[in-house]
Amino acid sequence: MTVTTTPPKAITPFRRFVEDFAEKRLAVAGLFVFVALVLAAIFAPWITPQNPYDLTQIDFMDGRLAPGSSGATMTFWLGTDDQGRDLLSGIFYGLRTSLSVGAISTVIALVIGGSLGLIGAYFGGKIDTIIMRIADLQLSFPAILIALILVSALGQGIDKIIIALVAVQWAYYARTIRSTALVERRKEYIEAATCLAISHRRIVFKHLMPNCTPPLIVVGTVQVAHAISLEATLSFLGIGVPITEPSLGLLIKNGFDYMLSGDYWVSFYPGLALLITIVSINLVGDQLRDVLNPRLQK
Amino acid sequence: MTLQKLGLAASALAVALALPVAAQASKLTMGMASEPSAIDPHYHNLGPNNALRRHMFESLVDQDEKQNLGPLLATSWKPTGETTWEFKLREGVKFQDGSAFTARDVIYSACRIPNVPNSPSNFTSFTKAISGFEAPNDHTLIVHTSVATPLLPTYFSNWGVISATANGIKGDIKYDKENCGIANFPNTVDFNSGKAAIGTGPFKLKEFVKGDRLVLEQNAGYWGTKPEWTSVVMKPITNAAARMAALLAGDVDFIAAPPTQDLAKLLTNPKFDVAQGLSNRVIYLHMDQFGPSSNGVKGTGSPAGKYEGEGPCASKECEKNPFLDVRVRQALSKAINREAIVSKIMGGVAVAAGELLPQGFFGTNPGAAPEAYDPEGAKKLLAEAGYPNGFELVLGTPNDRYINDAKVAQVIAQMFTRIGVKTTVNAMTKSVFFKTRNKYEFSIYLAGWGAGTGEMSNPLRALVGTRSKETGLGGTNRGRYSNAELDKKILSALSTVDDAKRELILKAASKMAMEDYSILPLHYEVTSWAHRKGLSYKARADQYTVATGISSSK
Repeated sequence: MTVTTTPPKAITPFRRFVEDFAEKRLAVAGLFVFVALVLAAIFAPWITPQNPYDLTQIDFMDGRLAPGSSGATMTFWLGTDDQGRDLLSGIFYGLRTSLSVGAISTVIALVIGGSLGLIGAYFGGKIDTIIMRIADLQLSFPAILIALILVSALGQGIDKIIIALVAVQWAYYARTIRSTALVERRKEYIEAATCLAISHRRIVFKHLMPNCTPPLIVVGTVQVAHAISLEATLSFLGIGVPITEPSLGLLIKNGFDYMLSGDYWVSFYPGLALLITIVSINLVGDQLRDVLNPRLQK
Repeated sequence: MTLQKLGLAASALAVALALPVAAQASKLTMGMASEPSAIDPHYHNLGPNNALRRHMFESLVDQDEKQNLGPLLATSWKPTGETTWEFKLREGVKFQDGSAFTARDVIYSACRIPNVPNSPSNFTSFTKAISGFEAPNDHTLIVHTSVATPLLPTYFSNWGVISATANGIKGDIKYDKENCGIANFPNTVDFNSGKAAIGTGPFKLKEFVKGDRLVLEQNAGYWGTKPEWTSVVMKPITNAAARMAALLAGDVDFIAAPPTQDLAKLLTNPKFDVAQGLSNRVIYLHMDQFGPSSNGVKGTGSPAGKYEGEGPCASKECEKNPFLDVRVRQALSKAINREAIVSKIMGGVAVAAGELLPQGFFGTNPGAAPEAYDPEGAKKLLAEAGYPNGFELVLGTPNDRYINDAKVAQVIAQMFTRIGVKTTVNAMTKSVFFKTRNKYEFSIYLAGWGAGTGEMSNPLRALVGTRSKETGLGGTNRGRYSNAELDKKILSALSTVDDAKRELILKAASKMAMEDYSILPLHYEVTSWAHRKGLSYKARADQYTVATGISSSK
């Protein structure tokens, strides 16, 4: 009897990552939903029946029609809001705003907070103290409060919201990366690099940073969801995006006035969209955390 | 969802059971749309403050729900010359601290009005005309004015009387325009704490917890008919839907400004009732008609001259101001479908406006109809004015001041965009809005004006008279429209004592302001109040919510 043994397939880290991730069905489902939402947001102008931000396309005489009603030119599958905006289109466009605000602010905050945290951890001493105390100060205030103050001081607009969201988020990244970096920088490879007289910049960004990113990715994913809900909150409070270009939060707010009148759909569907978005991102984020956590590795 | 419904049903049941008990205790709980900024009657000339003032600090002259004048602390008044008036004061009236009400208190109050520190908008427009007082006895007051002031009794209905004795003044007070030689007037904090909140009114202040509740208690020593309620609790619930929910749940007996979209449902609900009345408040659009350039306008080209004066365009580049051309103003007016706004956005609870006061008020032109909706005509006018492709515009609006304000602004943006004027809406909370507006940052804005005097001179004076400290015109004319001929008419009306003559001048002035499209009236608010069955409210034209107007119908 001859035993034929096939040599074990080489498992690349990425492959292993994908396999680990795919273990949890729910996370995969979350990922699919999230990708679908992102695609819907990106291609919104081509797939929605109406451009809800174009005032020549919406007519307030179509206001507050129930889901499935037909207007003069189209059928409103999810109904319309008080301005006559098709809610299906409104949700897609709103997603576009919400997701891009969430993603852009997270990336900027990640870059700023990540760099500051790395620099603090690597150099230590006074620089570290100053950066971390500012972060502490920032974290001691509720995020919504800081965002509220900033947006009311800076004024309305998507750019202002992004600034506010970056301001409330960078500290999380700074703290997260600093704690990992503190451990890493005492490891031999950093010492070796230092002995080779490699420049600080190279050590920080080429050696230290790549080894500190996994926790950052996890925090980043969760923070995207946080940023989206914060943006929705600001818009719900009426100080976020311009009123003629509603994001999900503003759509919910518009409908909130009509909740008691029985026109549930104006708030309900955008709310559902927001819920699905945040849940899907959190599902992905949770699984990422498990996969990237070395202590849970089998 | 189901749980919530169950909870709602349960609380509704509890309310139904608790109702008879609540009525016996004669305690009234009201959900208010906005909170007064202070208890101080002279601090802020603002709707909620003025409404509250009527509970505690009475004025010499009363304004009933239709804004007709009637006796209150003064029993009668008459002009005794071109510039003198005699007021007979009511005898036997006591302040809530027990001191007697006399002519001194009126003079003292008039002295304090210009001396309220940090007042956001004071009451001096109502006392400015007074040049002196004489008090031949405790209950006669002679008022001298610098010019003929036919509206003096109306002015005297707009401010409350506080006690001189309670505030430590002994002896006579010599009136002057500064401070009457009085160094220490009570400050606003003393009123809010209740220390200085001493008036002659049917209610006295029991407790004021800002943002939570304001509790009034019946004044046992009130001179007139005592109100039905021994205790009145006013809760500020600024969100309309939440206010409505509080009424449905029975947390409050009465709410001001129920959401318009829920009115139909309330009217069919056997447990609740609605009171409605046409108000004196017009919602309007004001256009920047000041300099050659205007902030926020795009696509009109470079301005013809240099911008000089207050405003953002003084320090930055702005494009040409299109609103100096009457054709553009008219085009915008024609672009607005006022009837559709009333029916679709206001739920029918408003009246399309053709002037600054509803038909029937003193000084209005009978039959003055709202501008007809004519988008084609509007496009033609724009083309004639040199804007065949329109231009871009930012429309400023508050989002929590007037009924459906931001919603109306959005609809107007839709209508403007249809005639080629691409409009975006900049909606903001009222405090920010008014600050921004007062810095002249809007080239067009939506706001409202309630005529405190209930006649035409008031809105004309405030909204379209040329801004000037000397004449006192244009106080709220933030579009800075200016027309010398119109100013002349308004000023002559203000000093014409003969009612018939004054009415003619006001009619002509109103017509002139409308024909020049100085301002674009949109609609008059119809004010609604909702309450549980068993109560009734006399709808007030001035939109004030006063507990003395609420009674239980037997």
